[in-house]
Amino acid sequence: MENYQEIIESGRLEQYALGELDPAAQAEVEALARRYPEVRQELDDLLAGLGVYAQAHALTPPAGMRERVLGRVLADIKQTGAPVAAAPVAPTAEVPTMRVSASNPHVASTAAPVAAPAVRRNGWAIAASVALLLSLLGNAILYTNWQKTSNELTVALNEQTRFANATQVMERRLGSTQEQLHILRSPNEYKMVALAGTPAHPTAQARVLYNKVSHRVYLDVAQLPPLPAGKQYQLWALDQGKPVDAGVLTAATTAGEDMQQMKDIASAQAFAMTVEPTGGSAGPTLNTMTVIGNI
Amino acid sequence: MTEFYDRYSAALYGVINRIVKAEDETEDVLQEALVKIWHAIESYDASKGRLFTWVVNISRNLAIDKIRSRQHRVSSRTQGLDDSLTAQRQAAPDTFRPEHLGLQEITKQLVPEQRQVIDLLYFGGFTQSEAAEELNLPLGTVKTRARTALKVLAKLMR
Repeated sequence: MENYQEIIESGRLEQYALGELDPAAQAEVEALARRYPEVRQELDDLLAGLGVYAQAHALTPPAGMRERVLGRVLADIKQTGAPVAAAPVAPTAEVPTMRVSASNPHVASTAAPVAAPAVRRNGWAIAASVALLLSLLGNAILYTNWQKTSNELTVALNEQTRFANATQVMERRLGSTQEQLHILRSPNEYKMVALAGTPAHPTAQARVLYNKVSHRVYLDVAQLPPLPAGKQYQLWALDQGKPVDAGVLTAATTAGEDMQQMKDIASAQAFAMTVEPTGGSAGPTLNTMTVIGNI
Repeated sequence: MTEFYDRYSAALYGVINRIVKAEDETEDVLQEALVKIWHAIESYDASKGRLFTWVVNISRNLAIDKIRSRQHRVSSRTQGLDDSLTAQRQAAPDTFRPEHLGLQEITKQLVPEQRQVIDLLYFGGFTQSEAAEELNLPLGTVKTRARTALKVLAKLMR
């Protein structure tokens, strides 16, 4: 048994459309068309395509031909005495029209005199529809591609932002590391002040790096006792026996993870650290002094 | 009948003229075709295809019979082809006719080789093997071209 695909591919439908087949083969194709709707569709398309081709070659017959031909045709019909021809011509002429309307509504829907151009217009309307469909399909593909590209661009931009952020972080870290290295390697600029634990906290240990010219103060913690909740270490500079606030220590500095730049100090002879409520105090709570060291 | 004539004569005249070439013979064939259609209309089977296809085929077959009955068949054929090509070339610039826009649009869809084959098959009344002989092409090539051309035409209708 052949399937409809094979029939369509066989080329017999084209031969049928071109009128190349003998009556037996024609009947065979017609039977197949009745059995397979796909074959019917293909055959209709081919015939309609040829119809368009024929229609495209339409020529306006020369003037005067209408009367000549019609006259002779009508005479011929009367002469052969077809039963219907005995009746006036006009009503019987309705027959093909009615058949058209039964089988071909789109032809019948147009007025009779313009019917021939209408068939062509119809063909072009269908061609235009096909073009529109193709264009819509093309647009859909382009839109999908565009969306994909747009998504990819967003991903790429996010990636770029991430890298930029990472680079910034690295640069900041590198900058602070270089700065710390510079501070540690410049003993002439920065005076190192060792802060030793008080008798209450003998293991506590830190150091201050103090630049007398630029007044900058850096703190580097070696070890400090853990803080009670709600408390923070605060650094003090002692100038002429008077305590000056040098800022509170961040958690990272307290844990000894980082060196911290403190407030600038104009003049000092010693540095000390006390435990103060979070945010620091205006004056030191002396009984909580953890470390102290003289310049 | 007059209504029918007004509706289809231009298309039928065009097709017949493409086949038989001579104007007076075109008129004869058209008249013959109309009479034949008149008598055969009872046998028209709407399920087999459109009325237009049917009437064009009747006219086409009569026209092909006409040229086949000529004694000088081969020479007139070759002659006719040349004539038709030049006629087409001349017709286009001379007379602007809206219906020819359709023809130009359609022939743009077909490459000249396809068109040559389909014209021989459809308007020349050639079988595919006769067309292969006439064009000095392998039968397979003619078949492929005819098939492709018909597909292109069919697509215009979809």
